[in-house]
Amino acid sequence: MVVGDVTTGTDVLVIGGGPGGYVATIRAGQLDLDVTLVEMDAYGGTCLNHGCIPSKALISATDIAHTAGDAERMGIYADPAVDMQGMVSWKDRLVTKLTKGVESLCERAGATLIEGRAEFDGENRARIVQSGEGQGSESIEFEHAIVATGSRPIEIPNFGFDNEQILSSRDALALQTVPESMLVVGGGYIGMELATVYQKLGCEVTIIEQLQGALPTYEDDVTNVVRERAEKLGIDFHFGQTAKNWEETNEGIVVRTESDDNEMAEFEGEKCLVAVGRQPVTDTLNLDAVDIETDEGVIQTDDRARTSLDHIFAVGDVAGDPMLAHKAFKEGEVAAEVIAGEPSALDYQAVPAAVFTDPEIGTVGMTEAEAEAAGYDPVVGQMPLRASGRALTLNEREGFVRVVADDETGFLLGAQIVGPDASELVAELAVAIELGATLEDIAATIHIHPTLGEAVHEAVKGARNESIHY
Amino acid sequence: MTFEYELPDVGEGVAEGEIVAWHVAPGDHVDEDEVLADVETDKAVVDLPSPVAGTIEELHAEEGEIVKVGSVVVTIDVDGDMPAAEEVEAAVEPDAAATDATASEQAVDGADTEGETPVASGRVFAPPNVRRLARELGVDITAVDGSGPSGRITEADVRSAAESETADSEDGDEPKRKSALSKRGDSEESERKSAVSKRSDSTGRKSAVTKRSDSTATSAAESADRAQTVAAPATRKFAEEQGVDLDAVPTDKTRDGEAFVEPEEIEAYVEAQEAAEEATGERAAAEADTAEPAAASGSEARPVRSEPYKGIRRTIGNQMQASSSTIPHATHHDTAVVSQLVESREKLKERAAERGISLTYMPFVMKAIVAGLKQHPILNTELDEDSEEIRYKDYYNVGIAVATDAGLMVPVVGDVDRKGLLELASEINELIERARDREISREEMQGGTFTVTNFGAIGGEFATPIINHPETAILGIGELTERPVVEGSGPDAEVVARHTLPLSLSIDHRVIDGAEAAEFTNTVIEYLEAPSLLLL
Repeated sequence: MVVGDVTTGTDVLVIGGGPGGYVATIRAGQLDLDVTLVEMDAYGGTCLNHGCIPSKALISATDIAHTAGDAERMGIYADPAVDMQGMVSWKDRLVTKLTKGVESLCERAGATLIEGRAEFDGENRARIVQSGEGQGSESIEFEHAIVATGSRPIEIPNFGFDNEQILSSRDALALQTVPESMLVVGGGYIGMELATVYQKLGCEVTIIEQLQGALPTYEDDVTNVVRERAEKLGIDFHFGQTAKNWEETNEGIVVRTESDDNEMAEFEGEKCLVAVGRQPVTDTLNLDAVDIETDEGVIQTDDRARTSLDHIFAVGDVAGDPMLAHKAFKEGEVAAEVIAGEPSALDYQAVPAAVFTDPEIGTVGMTEAEAEAAGYDPVVGQMPLRASGRALTLNEREGFVRVVADDETGFLLGAQIVGPDASELVAELAVAIELGATLEDIAATIHIHPTLGEAVHEAVKGARNESIHY
Repeated sequence: MTFEYELPDVGEGVAEGEIVAWHVAPGDHVDEDEVLADVETDKAVVDLPSPVAGTIEELHAEEGEIVKVGSVVVTIDVDGDMPAAEEVEAAVEPDAAATDATASEQAVDGADTEGETPVASGRVFAPPNVRRLARELGVDITAVDGSGPSGRITEADVRSAAESETADSEDGDEPKRKSALSKRGDSEESERKSAVSKRSDSTGRKSAVTKRSDSTATSAAESADRAQTVAAPATRKFAEEQGVDLDAVPTDKTRDGEAFVEPEEIEAYVEAQEAAEEATGERAAAEADTAEPAAASGSEARPVRSEPYKGIRRTIGNQMQASSSTIPHATHHDTAVVSQLVESREKLKERAAERGISLTYMPFVMKAIVAGLKQHPILNTELDEDSEEIRYKDYYNVGIAVATDAGLMVPVVGDVDRKGLLELASEINELIERARDREISREEMQGGTFTVTNFGAIGGEFATPIINHPETAILGIGELTERPVVEGSGPDAEVVARHTLPLSLSIDHRVIDGAEAAEFTNTVIEYLEAPSLLLL
């Protein structure tokens, strides 16, 4: 039964309350735009609820347990007991706290918040579909829309997610018990992060990757550090294996794979996590009602985050790679500012990225090969962490900081860091790249001793042939 | 269709050229390759031929104006059909493809996006606020030269780029033209307009100079006296052109806590100074009027003819100023008694004439100079101030200062030591002739290691030649004529008339000591007085 249709109007309709959408909402509110945010699931999106934040919570918690139990070298003998349910409920509490925070920030910015699914009903009109029986449908007339519907994990043939045996990354972040063993299909950053968590919790993890190495988008010397550490933890790697199908067994499941030379293999485990990437969510939007260009599901946007329709914007994962929350933040801001008539644009010089493995990877800008391909004459400086006093005091010996700069001008072009806190260390270099800073600028900056940041300093000095400590 | 002719690179890698003279005017019909204008770079003047046949629509630069390579200098309504013209356009505009690519990348854009500056595709070495400002002012940041460390682009660079664009647009009444900026198709015009309207309250240079505002004149008349002033490179250049000390220009703008000056402040200051001077002049005249009526006629304006300080004149001027202000000059004077040289030359002249060569004294002088340079290599050097090195040249390229109608030029005779007198004579004659006809190329005036200036051809004995920087010495030659010379000594000494050649050697006293200058001159004199030595 339809109770009645109500139509309201708004300057800016934001569809999706994840990192792209909620930032666009807050920014639009700050710019005195009348903004309405429609969220069908939970504020904060995948990042807050099923991605970045819960995974980092589990990574940090398991690291505490693992590090304490693995510090004999430092004279510490411990065997911490982990209460998985306690850990997960702690994680859930902080997620709830953060999503509430996002919601109240949006409210404080003056946004109208609506729960439901928004779908286009013409180029300036959207219908809000509420779940549940007998709900009336509300329509919103909008001047501008910002699509921020995000992405969802990709399912591969024969491996539909069932949250029993075949887990998505979302499911794997919500397990109440630690499985005896786990097969992880996909050795990308999500697979690697979760594999490390479960291996450290005592689960026997096997990674099955179609390509010839883990974290295939990174340089070999970067991934080697992480893979070797993972192997030391006991993770079993099988490369060049494509998962074909699976079957339930008495102890759990068996996954059958095919290698590059068509050899079949079988891997047994209690559960199987499939983490082979993410795809944009557009099927909730009724895109047929608007003439927006997409390419393999990705909404095409320009340097102002605009779609092929000038008044409709798309931000975050739905607008394509890299699918990173901080890229979505930027796009959300720019979309709101462009709508408000500000001279904003997506003119960032680099998108830093981090992998929260053990140790972490942090990268920004170009690799040496990319710099060469872009026509620069790159100069490289590298500082191994075994030469860093602070790294040794952290009981860490592996990893390095590498910077890539233009030889002629000294302009910093990129950096690759693998080591503890690489995700934090890379921020300094991201600022440098955004400012157009040179090696000299960083070399001339005093860095605190003793910190890991000194390794950044030393790598920069190395690129100038001025290394002091290495 | 209209063809927009962008100034090509007329020399080797020159960035700008000066339009010395236009040979065409709007409405003229030109053939392909017909000379449109004389364009001067450094010291060479080149012809600017028309790449197309058609009718001149508009000249976008005035005579004397310095034009950047790549900016439109003339628009021509092309004869015949479009495709031919497009080919030409594609050929002269290497950025065309890139622009198209940008356009197609931007194809998703719709109607209300026009007038936007697209984001550059590669790395841009400018902080975020500067990139944002560039978008705000409609400046293509990839076309801006940075003045920051390693060429980083600063806020001031973007502002001055925006202003120079505004000034460009105000020059012509036809705003649509191709620029180096990669803007989207039709948006270009509206973008320029918006840039103009945004900057309209900040007076464009030209209009500000002609518009005189009394209020600014009085307020800006007071000189500031700061120790330091922040200004964009373009502003500094402008101040220099106006002969204004930046630290004296009053401003209430600041950047990073330092006083910040922009062109409009300089203009206001110049106007104010002029106004103040006029006022003083008028007051003086008025005082003179009352004090002594008869003197009034003396203070009346006498006719003065103004010529622009431009082209070769200004190039020479800049060169002289640079040399004179960097190099501590010292000049050594001496005289060679050249009776034998006169005789030798008389004999050889006929031989040379038989071969159709006019033999002057210059080849002998150059040979004597090379002999001197070989014995005193310190005079065949250059001082590289940046690397703090004295560079000894193991070759002898002698420049000859030549007076031309347009001013001084210095063609260079290469490898003087390896050439015979007759070969030198014909080469010198040819170079001088081509310099006077202004046919000399830029390359022919480069690479000198020493310079000789023959002011004596016009008359006079001694002078103080200015060194052709970065060389370290120059020899001036006075008039070769008979002068009283003392011969013999003691009671037998007598004054006789002899042909003498006065020499004036200026040296870079940082590199060369006075003794070395005197020794070199002695050697040159030795060879000039006994030309048979040249045979050795």
